[in-house]
Amino acid sequence: MQREVIARTLAQRAGQAPDARAVAEASVSTWTQVSEQLAPVIGERGVEALFQRSLHLGSATYPWLAVAATEEPGVARLDRLRLRLVERDPGSAAEASALLLLTFSALLAAMIGDALTDKLLEPVWATPALDTKPENES
Amino acid sequence: MNRKVDIRRLATGVPGLDEILGGGLPELSFNLIVGAPGSGKTTLAHQMMFALASAERPALYFNVLGEPPLKMLRYQQQFSFFDVAKINTVIRFVHLSDQVSASHFDQLLERITQEVEASSPGLVFVDSFRSLMLEAQRTSATSQQQFIQQLGIQLAGAQATTFLIGEYSSEGESSPVFAVADGLLVLEQSVRRNSMVRKLQVKKMRGQATSPGVHSFRITGDGISVFPSPVIAGDTGAARAGEPAPRSRERLAMGVARLDEMLGGGLPAGFSLLVAGPSGSGKTILATAFLAEGVRLGEPGVIVAFEQTPSRSRTHTIDDMVRAGCIGLINTRSLDLSIDEVVAQLLELIHHMKAKRVVIDSLSGFELAVAPTFREDFRESLFRMVAALSGLGVTVLMTSELEDRYTDLRFSPYGSAFLTDAIIVQRYIEIDSCLQRVLAVVKVRGSDHSKEIRRYEITEAGIVIGDPVLTYEGLLGGSPTQAAALATSAVNGDATHQGFDPAPGSADDGR
Repeated sequence: MQREVIARTLAQRAGQAPDARAVAEASVSTWTQVSEQLAPVIGERGVEALFQRSLHLGSATYPWLAVAATEEPGVARLDRLRLRLVERDPGSAAEASALLLLTFSALLAAMIGDALTDKLLEPVWATPALDTKPENES
Repeated sequence: MNRKVDIRRLATGVPGLDEILGGGLPELSFNLIVGAPGSGKTTLAHQMMFALASAERPALYFNVLGEPPLKMLRYQQQFSFFDVAKINTVIRFVHLSDQVSASHFDQLLERITQEVEASSPGLVFVDSFRSLMLEAQRTSATSQQQFIQQLGIQLAGAQATTFLIGEYSSEGESSPVFAVADGLLVLEQSVRRNSMVRKLQVKKMRGQATSPGVHSFRITGDGISVFPSPVIAGDTGAARAGEPAPRSRERLAMGVARLDEMLGGGLPAGFSLLVAGPSGSGKTILATAFLAEGVRLGEPGVIVAFEQTPSRSRTHTIDDMVRAGCIGLINTRSLDLSIDEVVAQLLELIHHMKAKRVVIDSLSGFELAVAPTFREDFRESLFRMVAALSGLGVTVLMTSELEDRYTDLRFSPYGSAFLTDAIIVQRYIEIDSCLQRVLAVVKVRGSDHSKEIRRYEITEAGIVIGDPVLTYEGLLGGSPTQAAALATSAVNGDATHQGFDPAPGSADDGR
């Protein structure tokens, strides 16, 4: 279910037939919201730690994500992610973005459980369009 | 004209705590929860927060260099009180540790104030204020006391009930800080030998009479449960008013033929009876008969068993009665109990069962089950327990192991004999190289009773009391000698090797 919600959120934010830049912006804006929601609860360091771990795990599938994880002084972490995403084709940028968010939410759920994860991240995700409510929602 | 302020008391949602606090937590109070790491501070704070937070009274939880919040949420979630639905609706977390390291303390205080103003919470938690104060010392000239004072004033002005959580040992540290607070809850865990016991003390709660002393508590899947020490009725004039009517003359049947007669017509209702005897003398059987008789007469009972496993044959009747719902059973063998915990369970069960008869089998097992740290106070606690039970008007039978001694006579190793209203002593005596059992009613307060020593046997049907042993003396000492008047007709037996003083004709020839 989380996979669909994430894909839908990114797709809605990127708009129709997006280019890599639109995908990157959708991804970064989603991450910004994730951070806004979670930082008060688990702290910015907590968010950062899970984000770094997500990049690391994601780099097994998309090695270029590892580059985004390395330190580049003066460049904020989301800016680094944006830079990497715009260099890709829209398809793999979208897939990598979705994978990152999915990994992140799975890591969070492993720590604090699905119920609380859903509760905390609920405001981040785009609500389904009126006619496409997923059937297997639980 | 001069109308006084009425302080509302909030129900904390922690079983037993409201009672200790003197009726709940005063609204808008400024409280400190202190204790060593692992003493249960955060759990207590969370439990109260989840119980108290509502749409009308939202909660704000500031996390300042306490435990990492991911871990806190991970572990606190294991408690049943943790209600995910309340998060971000009526409970909001504010993580401040990132700011603590970056900014100055004054800004931090400013930030807390802003957050509080922005969301007008009814409850504010700051975890932990210790780290906040250490930071305050480093980055500003404000003293710890000033800081707490400022925070207290600001939060009280914001109409919030406030809790500061911090790692402090209860003694010797910064008492001025504690002076500022309205309430001070101290948690500790004491380890003695191989047992760990948690204790809570309300050191201070302005405006109300709290229950003094240290109360034990336990943390389970449902969170914290506090076991208030039983309050002895008669402590204050007020408590007397609620006391049950003076003991009636009603007598309870013991369920053992001839024992009622020995007691002067049964055991007076509301009395506590001590049955003391050596191992195997039938104390549990007597206690079982007492309960069974109650069940037969429609008087429910409760047994606190520290002895045999319930499946053992002797206690089958207990088992049957428990299964039939006629008596309540507290069966425990854990070795880290507090007496107050057992008493709390017992009182609850008595209320639940509407019990008239209570058996504690045995005090010796009870003492063993109690955590070592409480053993020193065992007698005192026993006294409180007996007083609490007699306040309820139930009739209590306690058994106690009696060491076999043949040189002196003791009723109980605890000196608990004086606590009880009636005493039955069981003994082994040796006659004809055979162990025989005898019992005597030693005391029934304010009542006539038999002074006879009677033999009894334990049969499948239970205890069968026989006739008085008239032909011997010194039975309770274990070394009977035949009474002088009858000695002449006795045939001499070879009893010298048995180790008791062979008075002439000391062995019985026949029976």
